[in-house]
This record gives sequence, C-alpha cells and structure tokens, in this order.
Amino acid sequence: MAEIDARFVKPENFVNRELSWLEFDYRILEEARDKTIPLFERLKFLSITASNLDEFFMVRVASLKDMVHAGYTKPDIAGLKADEQLTLIGEKTHELVQMQYSTYSRSLVPALKQNGIRLLDRHEELTGEEGAWVDEYFQKNVYPVLTPMAVDSSRPFPLVYNKSLNIAALIRKKDGEGEVDFAMVRVPAVIPRIVEIPTGQERVFILLEEIIERNLPALFLNCDIIAAHPFRIMRNADLSLDEEGAEDLLKEIEKLLKRRQWGEAIRLEIEDNADKRVLKRLRKELNIQPADIYEVGGPLDLTFLMKMYGTDGFDYLKAEKYTPQPHPALMNDDDIFTNIRRGDILLHHPYESFEPVVNFIRTAARDPEVLAIKQTLYRVSGNSPIVAALAEARNNGKQVSVLVELKARFDEENNITWARMLEEAGCHVIYGLVGLKTHSKITLVVRREEDGIRRYVHLGTGNYNDSTAKLYTDCGLLTCHPQIGEDATAVFNMLSGYSEPLQWNQLVVAPIWMRKKFTRLIRREAENARAGKAARIIAKVNSLCDRDIIAELYAASCAGVKIDLIVRGICCLRVGVPGLSENISVRSIVGNFLEHARIFYFENNGMPEYYMGSADWMPRNLDRRVEIMFPILDQELQEKAMHILEVQLEDNLKAHILKPDGSYEKPDRRGRAPVGAQDTFCGEAVSVVRELKARQDPVNTRVFVPVSGSRQETQ
Amino acid sequence: MANHLFAAIDVGSFELEMGIYEMSPKNGMRQVDHLRHVIALGRETYHTGKISYRLVDEMCRVLEDFSGVMKSYGVEDYRAYATSAMREAVNNRIILDQILVRTGIRVRIISNSEQRFLSYKAIAMKASEFEKIIQKGTAIADVGFGSTQLSLFDRDSLVTTQNIVPGILKIRDILGQIRASGSTEKAVIEEIIDHELAKFRKLYLRERDRDIRNLIAVGDAIVALMRGVTGAGATDHITREEFSQVYEKMMNLSVSKMADSFGVSESFVELLIPAAIIYERILQMTGAEMVWAPGTRFCDGIAAEYAQENKYLRFAHNFDDDIVAAARNIAKRYRCGNNHIQNVENLAVQMFDAMKKHHGLTQRDRILLRVAAVLYGCGKYISMRDYGICSYNIIISTEIIGLSHREREIVANVVRYHTERFDYDKADIRTAKLTAMLRLAVALDASYRQKLTDCRMAVRGSEFVVGTSYEGDLSLEKMAAETVADFFEEIFGIQPVLKQKRRG
Repeated sequence: MAEIDARFVKPENFVNRELSWLEFDYRILEEARDKTIPLFERLKFLSITASNLDEFFMVRVASLKDMVHAGYTKPDIAGLKADEQLTLIGEKTHELVQMQYSTYSRSLVPALKQNGIRLLDRHEELTGEEGAWVDEYFQKNVYPVLTPMAVDSSRPFPLVYNKSLNIAALIRKKDGEGEVDFAMVRVPAVIPRIVEIPTGQERVFILLEEIIERNLPALFLNCDIIAAHPFRIMRNADLSLDEEGAEDLLKEIEKLLKRRQWGEAIRLEIEDNADKRVLKRLRKELNIQPADIYEVGGPLDLTFLMKMYGTDGFDYLKAEKYTPQPHPALMNDDDIFTNIRRGDILLHHPYESFEPVVNFIRTAARDPEVLAIKQTLYRVSGNSPIVAALAEARNNGKQVSVLVELKARFDEENNITWARMLEEAGCHVIYGLVGLKTHSKITLVVRREEDGIRRYVHLGTGNYNDSTAKLYTDCGLLTCHPQIGEDATAVFNMLSGYSEPLQWNQLVVAPIWMRKKFTRLIRREAENARAGKAARIIAKVNSLCDRDIIAELYAASCAGVKIDLIVRGICCLRVGVPGLSENISVRSIVGNFLEHARIFYFENNGMPEYYMGSADWMPRNLDRRVEIMFPILDQELQEKAMHILEVQLEDNLKAHILKPDGSYEKPDRRGRAPVGAQDTFCGEAVSVVRELKARQDPVNTRVFVPVSGSRQETQ
Repeated sequence: MANHLFAAIDVGSFELEMGIYEMSPKNGMRQVDHLRHVIALGRETYHTGKISYRLVDEMCRVLEDFSGVMKSYGVEDYRAYATSAMREAVNNRIILDQILVRTGIRVRIISNSEQRFLSYKAIAMKASEFEKIIQKGTAIADVGFGSTQLSLFDRDSLVTTQNIVPGILKIRDILGQIRASGSTEKAVIEEIIDHELAKFRKLYLRERDRDIRNLIAVGDAIVALMRGVTGAGATDHITREEFSQVYEKMMNLSVSKMADSFGVSESFVELLIPAAIIYERILQMTGAEMVWAPGTRFCDGIAAEYAQENKYLRFAHNFDDDIVAAARNIAKRYRCGNNHIQNVENLAVQMFDAMKKHHGLTQRDRILLRVAAVLYGCGKYISMRDYGICSYNIIISTEIIGLSHREREIVANVVRYHTERFDYDKADIRTAKLTAMLRLAVALDASYRQKLTDCRMAVRGSEFVVGTSYEGDLSLEKMAAETVADFFEEIFGIQPVLKQKRRG
C-alpha cells in the first residue's frame, strides 16, 4: 500500500495519548459534578475516576517509567519522550486529583448530608455514642485480623503491597527518652471499607482506616502515637510477557501474578498535612520521587464509593434501574436457530438483553443436531452461564473448542480457574496465541441440518460477559450467512494453529488484514470525495490513537470527506486544524452505561458499508491482537446501525465535543430539544417491546391462534 | 441425514491439508471446512532423500488432530493420499506405518499420474467453465512443490500430459546448493526450466502445429499470484499482458513488499518467485493469451473422485475417454496409431462387453484393456522382432494420466504376455484375463485388413462365438484364433470359435 503523505504524520498533528486519556477521566469527573444527576450516580462516577486512575498508573505510567529506566528515548506520535510525558502527566494528574477531592468534600459530602447521610472521613467527627460503638466494632471485628509492625534497627521496613491501604504511624515508648519509631499497620481488605454505624435515625458511615486510626493505641501498647496517616502506594504492574520460549504460558502467568506485587513504587497517596517525618520515611523506604506523591484532602482510594453506591436503601438517590428488553425478533416460541434462519439479528446491549446470546450457546449445547461449538473468551463473569453451557455441551458429546485469552489484563487469575474447569470437562482449550492477544468475540455453532451443515455465528463488539453486558453498550450479530460461517470456521482453524484461509469472504481479521482494509475503506472515501461523489465516514470507537489511521483520516478530510467520530476515551486526533482536519468532528459520550461498541460507516458513493467489530483504532488492536470486524449486510439492520450512530451524533446531554485546543466541552443546547442517546435507546427498546406485546395479545387481536400439533421448523 | 460427509486428506510436499465435504445426490458436493498446516516434507525428501523423525512426529500430531475434526463433523468416510515428497522418501513405508499406528489414518501414496488426474478432475468440477475453455487449444500447468505437470487439450480431449520440470521446492533446493544471488537466481531458474520446456515444445507443440489459446493454472502459488494481479477483487481470469505486468513488477520488489502485495508470509515469497517464473516461461512457450486460475485444490480432486464413484456427482466430461486419448497419443508418437489398432481396440471392447457375465471384471478393467489394445504394438517402433518387451518398457516408462502405477504395470504386462509366454508365477488372474482377451482381439485382425469390423460376439454354451458375414478368406484369422484359443479356454473355460456365415 502506498505511503501516506508525510505532512499528515508530523508530531504536532497529534495529541499524546496519556494526556488524552486524562481528559477522558476529566469527562467522567464532570459527570460526578453534574448536579442534575442523581446523587448516588455521582458517587459512582467519582469512584470510576479513581479506579480508572489506578489502572492508568499501573499500566501506562508504569510502562513510561520502564521506558525511562531502559533509556528508551524514542518519542511518541506527538513527539514527546517518556520523561517529558511523565512530567506532563504528573502536572495534569495532580490537578485532576485536586478536583476529585474538591468534588468529594465540597459537593458530594455536603449533598449527602442534606439527604440525611453522614459520611465521616475523620474519626474526630464521631459523637461520643458513635465512638463507643465504633470502638466495640474494632475490638470485635477488626482487632483480631490486624498485624501491627514496628520498624527499628532489628526489624526491616515491611513490604507494602500494591494498592493496599496502610496506616503509617510514629510511635514513642511511654517510658522512652524520645526515640521515635516508625510503625505500620495494613488496613485489612477482608473487612468492608465502609462501616455503617447504627444510630436509629440518620444514616452514618465511617471508613475502616479511621476506626483503626482511632484505636491505634490498642495496637501499640505502652507507646504514644505521635502521628498516624493512612497511605497507599501503587506499583509497576504492567505485564510484559516474554512469550517466545515460554514453554507453558499458563505457568508463566501464574508466576507473574505473584511478581506483580513486588514492582517499583510509582505513586504514593497520603492524606494532606501529614507529619513531615512520616512522609520522609516513606519516601526513603519506597524510593519515590516527590512528583509521585499525592497529598489528598479526603479519604484515600475513592473506589469505596462504589461500595457506598451498593448499600441498600438509597434507590431514590439513584437513576431508575433499566431492565434490558427482549429482542422483538425473538419474541416467539421458536428456537433461536429458527429465528436466525429467518434473518440476521442485530442485538444492541444493554438496551436489548444479552440473554439471547446465552440462550444461543445453551440451546446449542442441548440441541441434538449440533456438532460443535467454538468460542473465544476474553473476560467472562464470575459465575458465567456461558462457561457452564460450554461444559454442558461437552457432556452432551459436542465438540467444544474454546480459546481462552489468559493475557486479559488483571483478569488472569480468574481466567485460569475456569479455563481449567473447561479443560476438565473435556473441552479443547487453547490458552491464547504466542505474541498475540485474542480480543475477538466470536462464537460458531456447527449444526447438521436436513439440507446439510449449517453454521450459526455470533459476532460481538463486547465480551461474553453477562454481567458487563448490562452496563456496557455493545452490538452483537446473530447470523447463519454461509460466507460468514465459512470465515468463522477459518478463524477458528487459524486460532488452532492452521494456515490462513485461501481467502476471506466477509470477515476482516486483525492483525494481518484489518489495517489494510481500514486504509482502503478510508482512501476510497477520499477518492470519491475528490471525484465529487458522496463521501462520508462515521466511526464509533473507544479509542483512536493509531498514527496511520489518523493520518488517513486527515488525508480524507483534506479531500473533502465529512468525518464524524464518536470516540469515548483516548483520541490523539486534532480537530478543526486548518488544512488538516477541518472536516472532522469528534464527540465523546459518557453516560450511565459504558460506551463500548465499535461501529463504522463508509458512504461508498451511495452504496454504504457498515461494519462492527472488536477492534479500536489503536496500534495494539490492529497489529498485536486477533480482532474481527464484521459487515452488517442486511438492509434493515443497516438502518438500525445508522440509527444508533445518528442518535449518538444528536446527543446533547451526555456528549462532549472535542475542541481544537484539545479540551472537551458540552454542546450548546440553546433552542434544541435535549437528546440523551442512552435514554433514547432505553425508551425505544421498551416501547418496541410494549407495542409488539400489545399486537400479539389475543385480547387485542381478537383472534385466537390454535397451536398446531407439531411445530415444524420452517427452513 | 441426507448428506454424506467425507474427508479428503492431502499429505503434500509443503502442506498437510484436509477438506471436509458434504455430498448428496441432490445437492452434489460442497466443502464445509478446510484446514492447512505448513510442513515442508519436500524440503527434506528432495534434499536428503528421507523424512526425519521430527517431521514425522509433527505430521502425526496434525493428522491426529485432523482425525478429531473428522469425528466432530461425523465424517463417514475419508481418503488420505500422499504425493511426491512421501513417494520419493526412501523411508515412506515406515512413515505410513507410523501414521497408521498413531492416528488410525490409512494414507496411500499415489503416483504422479493419479495425482495429476485428480487435480484435473477438481478443475473439471467447474464444469461450465472447463468445457468452454477446452474447446480451444488449452494447456494445464500444475505447478506443484515437487514437480510441474503440463497437459495439453485440444477440442475437448486430452492430447498429452507430461511431468516436465522440477517443482518449486526442488528449484529452491538447487538454488540453495549453488547459492545464487538475487539476479542470477532468476537466470538459473529460467535455464533449468527452458531446457525442459523446449523439449516439450518440440515434441508436442511445434511438430503438431498446435495453437494454445488458454492456460489453466493450478498449484499452490497461483492463488497468491492472482491476488497480486487482481488486488482484492475476485476474478480468476487474467490476460497474458496482465500477468506479464505483474511479473515484471514482482521481480523488482523487495521480499517484504512482495509479501504485502501478494498477501502471503515472507517465507512463502521465496517459493512464489520460482512459481511465477515457471508460469511465465510456460506462458511464453505456449503463447497462451488467457490465464484461468480455478483455485481448486488437490483435496477437491480427491473428493470429486470419491463423489463420482459413489454417485454423488456426475461429470459432464468423460474422463475415461481422456485416459484412452492419452494412450492414443502415445501410440501416435510411436507410429502405431493405425486402422489395425483401432480395429483391435474395438474388437477387444466388444469382446469385453459380450463376456461380461463370464469374466467378472470391472469397468476399470475395460479401460485397461482398451489402453493395452491401443499400445500393444508401440514397441515395434524400436524393434519389430522383440516388440513385446519393447512395448512393455515404453509403457512402464510413460505416464498415462489417470492410471496408477499398478494399473500401468498391468497394462504393460498384458502387452508383454501378448507375445511372450504367460508367466503363471508372476502375473495375477486379472492380468491373465486381460491377456487372453487381448490375444484373441489381435488374432481376429491377424491379416491387418480389418476383415471383422462388423462381427458379432456372444457366449453360447461353452463356446465364445465370433460370427461374421465377411465372405472373403479368413484363414489367417482362424489360424491365429486357434493358436490363442487354448489359453483363452484355460482362463475362461470357454472355447473361442470364429464362424463365417455363408449367405443363402
């Protein structure tokens, strides 16, 4: 493929991906600050900003640190070297954390109070009665699991675990002559972080570390507590597996899991105004730079707010719970195979239920005509009905092949457990591919039917995880299109180690083919635009940070292609730069559900092509992962896909528009009806089902339909 | 279930391949799965003459896996054929045994002519296109890893087929030994090929003044080459000019660029180059204007043969005729394609059909008899006196497409025993029966005058009666028939009798 014009790939055309990621966390934080949102939802958003930031540090910051250590000086697409990035990230993160805590203490805690909820983050705020209850709670529940550790010349500094919450204290023997020792106690993870104090009237919560801090003297008898501060550290946790030569990948990962806790400390969080001596000691022992110390004005690790969100009795402070709706094409008594044979089915989660996907696999497991089930699993839920169905299929004599991706970040432990379970059930389990992460979401069911072998395929943009399918917006296609079936078979053959197929019919597969396909699709629009034909691109992805794709988009924009991008997270593309990206708009939607679907639209001079897939426009997705993109061929489904994109482009409640300066801003809504894409889809899904039910109701139709003796499958 | 599931396994020189096919009399044949595993057996065979245990082990593992896939589809029958790399490996019988013991799969090594015939059947499955193309002068170039086969068609029938030049892996091996640089590499390959092609042309093209219009290209590399020509678009026809353009371009590309534009791995590129050169030289030599790459695989041929035998598939094209046509062309080359031969063939066929209930042979044997009849005299080209043994030698060293090595041996023996004493120890009963029939058929034209062109044949009691209304003298025929009658009777228990009907 021809090279892209050099003027499009200049560093100044790109935004650093880490800084763009921080912008994303800001957008979530903005939701936490939005007073129109139910209070508990705001708590949840704040919690998300915190857990996101944790992951960001463990993965991204950690690998930048690695680069600095390794003396790696190659700049990123925006021309920044690793140390320069770290400096910028540090500045921006400190601001972000500042804002998190001001949101917490100036906005959320007072709002909770207004609603009769006291969330105490200082034990000094306890009333006498409450204090007594807390002390008893400490004695009964907390004290037995604590291990206080004093440090002196004979005892070394204790190991501080990654992400663990600890209290650092300075103690002095009561009879001693001023010898100050360092002491530490780990806040146990086995006890809930938030503790509700029963008062009979208002609801009062306190954090566990405050209870411990209050009772420290009980741990260090005969000592005076001079100072005590909770702190938390983060360690380098990015796993860069050396797969070449790893004889047994499984063992290798198990080893790494243990090693993860021992990485270099890259962030220290401690409450502000901490005793200087404590800080100094921690700095020395953890060998941490001043810039990596975050002194915060509130409780550490705000992810406890998610637990808070989960406490009973506050439904009136949460968004109305949405129940995923059934898909109209499946609201009948026929089995799923019959329904798929009637036509392709496009599922839009979580508006439409994930149940059909589970049902698809479960039905296949029990159907006597099914010969084989093959599936890729990336992240599945704890007690996954899919895994259970696969094991059942195996017991029913089906051939079951499962590719389990062990390298799914932070999920390895979980994955290994049920992968073993499947293997014990007799399934053929492939533990990933050397050098590639399998990120595709595909299920193939091979069924022997009257007129021959027919293949049913499910292709998705999201993981086979019934829990996250209620929270992530994703699309899935159920089809028995022969060409897609053939390609799906080829995908699994490749995943089993066989050669690539002689040709692909419909599916586009990364790493080898997808990048080229995108390049061709974008260039075709550019050519059409230059030829004065209709040209447009709409793409919805989670991240856009691939240099070449962005450069192609710039080129297309210059050719006159109108490009609308819906990018939830990282976006390294600059909009509205004269002579570069005047025709490109970028918006990000941050809502109650996590936007996760990847949808692509190419106008193709009036013969539009629609694709969906598992890949983002990131180098790792296009080059180092097995990803699948599938076309939407059915015209009715194309309309549905277009509707999804259109509504998202009209969203003016949850959308943030990217500005030329790299910041995001909510759209100007003056004179326009408010549109919230997620709410719209919820409403639509509900009303479609309601209408269909009404139509099917015999009371309304006034016709009773007799059920015939044998329900023959229509072919 | 209405559909029959069949697996075809190709133990090739470069790849292990399995196709799963669904067959039914109503819907014909359809491929439902296709697996390929790269394993360069040929690299070892062509270089050391042997296949190492390491590769045998890998092969067994993959075949075991194939067997699992077969089970998962509920495959009812399979055929596993091994081609040149295994055929030429000195330790092939040990390997076959290993495979059987470890995987339960029975692999059969087939001869080159059988292999090519199957590839050719796979092409003919694309019936409409195939029939159209072979109406004009057509060459099929099957460029494999082990060798290259070139076949010629003219007006719907096969003219010849020759295993001409080394295959891709063999050329690679030669290049590896002489360590040629990039530019001389091309020249070396051309030298190897051109010499062989020149001989072919002299024998079959220039002499016969044949006009080759189309080239049907099959083989492992052509799919990738076509992709390079047509881009992503899926056309399987290109003109000679288009091919040349891509060829020129290709020769100037770096390995990685080539891998990119042809959509193959970089290690495959080094096989692509010799393949492209072979196709290009063949195009030059034949002067074909159009290249058709049907994209069929050897597995398709295995399945096609199976489907045909089991009546799931009917071919428009008559392959038996191809076998006989190929034999006729050999006869022509040795100047024995005359009226006498034609007459002997007809008599032999007539005899075969009339004796159906008494000989217990198959349709396949009928073809062997025809081929034997066509070729029985070809040795006369070398020696008029000892033509039996000469014919035998010619047949043994000439490939006849569609016949296995074993079948060709039968034909050669039948031809030899036609003149020599029958060897009861060595020959089997099938050979004996065919010999008896060939002897009689030749005897019935002992005068070389085709006097019995309209005879009638039938078994009456213990006699095989050849009746004719020919009124002239038949003493030569009668005498000859009597000479062979004892052997005939010994084999069939029936006495051949030549009866001349007198008019009125």
